[in-house]
Amino acid sequence: MGSTAKEEMNKFWDKNSRLNRPMSPHLTIYRWSVPMMMSITHRGTGLALSSGISAFAAAALLLPGSYPDYLDLIHSLSVGPYLIGLAKFGIAFPVSYHTYNGIRHLCWDLGKGFRLPQVNRSGYAVIGLSVITSVILALI
Amino acid sequence: MAAVYKLSSVCRRGVHPLLYQSALLARPAAILQKRREPPCLLTARIHSSQALHSGADSKAASMHWTAERVLSIALLAMGPVAYYSPGPVIDYSLAAALTLHGHWGIGQVLTDYVHGDAKVKMANAGLFLLSTVTFAGLCYFNYNDVGICKAVALLWSK
Repeated sequence: MGSTAKEEMNKFWDKNSRLNRPMSPHLTIYRWSVPMMMSITHRGTGLALSSGISAFAAAALLLPGSYPDYLDLIHSLSVGPYLIGLAKFGIAFPVSYHTYNGIRHLCWDLGKGFRLPQVNRSGYAVIGLSVITSVILALI
Repeated sequence: MAAVYKLSSVCRRGVHPLLYQSALLARPAAILQKRREPPCLLTARIHSSQALHSGADSKAASMHWTAERVLSIALLAMGPVAYYSPGPVIDYSLAAALTLHGHWGIGQVLTDYVHGDAKVKMANAGLFLLSTVTFAGLCYFNYNDVGICKAVALLWSK
C-alpha cells in the first residue's frame, strides 16, 4: 500500500550517493558535552573489551602451551612494578567504566534519571567511581 | 500509493490532531483565508505499512531489547559470584554471557554505522564468525587450561 520507512530511507540515501551530494559537517562542528563523551567512551570501552576477549580466545585456540607458562614468561621479563600497575589500571579502567556506566544505562532504561542535572551528576559519579575503583584494583 | 490528507489548520493555527483519524480524506482542498491571501493548498503524504508485518517485527525487536537488558543484569551478578566462588560453572557461564553480551553490543554498533543491505549482511556474518570463535576459544580455555576465574586471579597476583 504505502512505502515503508525503510524503503524511504534507502531511496533518500541512494539519491544522495547518486548525486554525489556532500554531507553537512556534524562531529567537527557540534559542541562536545560530557554526556556525549561519556556515551562514546561507553561504546569505545565496550568494543575494546570485546576485542580483548576475542583476542584472548583466539590466542587460547592458536598458541601452544598453557596460560601459566605465558604468565611466567611475562614475569621473567621483570618489567617493574610501575609498569605492572599501569597495565592493571589499563585493564581495570575500561571494565570499571563500562560497568558503572552500564548501570547508569540500566537506570535510564527503567526511566529514571533523565533530567539534565541528574544526567550530569550520575555522569560525574560514574567517572569518579571508575577512577577510584581502577586505582584500587591497580594497587592490589 | 500515498494517501493524501487535508491539513486544514496547519496554516497559522498549528497542527490539528488529524493524525488520530484513521479515515483518509482523498481530496486535496484549497483553503481560503479570511485575509486576502492566495489559497494555500496543503497536502501531505503518509506512509501506511502493513500492520501485521510491522507488528511482528517490532515485537521481535522489543523482545531483543529486553533480552539485552536481562543479560546485562545477569552479567553484573556474575562478577561477585566469580570472585567469591570461582569454579567451572561460573567459568562457562561467564564465557557464554560475555560472548553474547559482546555479540549483541557489536551488533548494535554495526546497526548504527553500517548501511546498505549487502554490507549489513557481510558485517553480521563476520560478527557471527567472531563470536563463534570467541565462545569456542573461551570454552577451550575453560576445559584445557586454568579457566577464566583462575586466569584473572593469576594475572592479578603478578
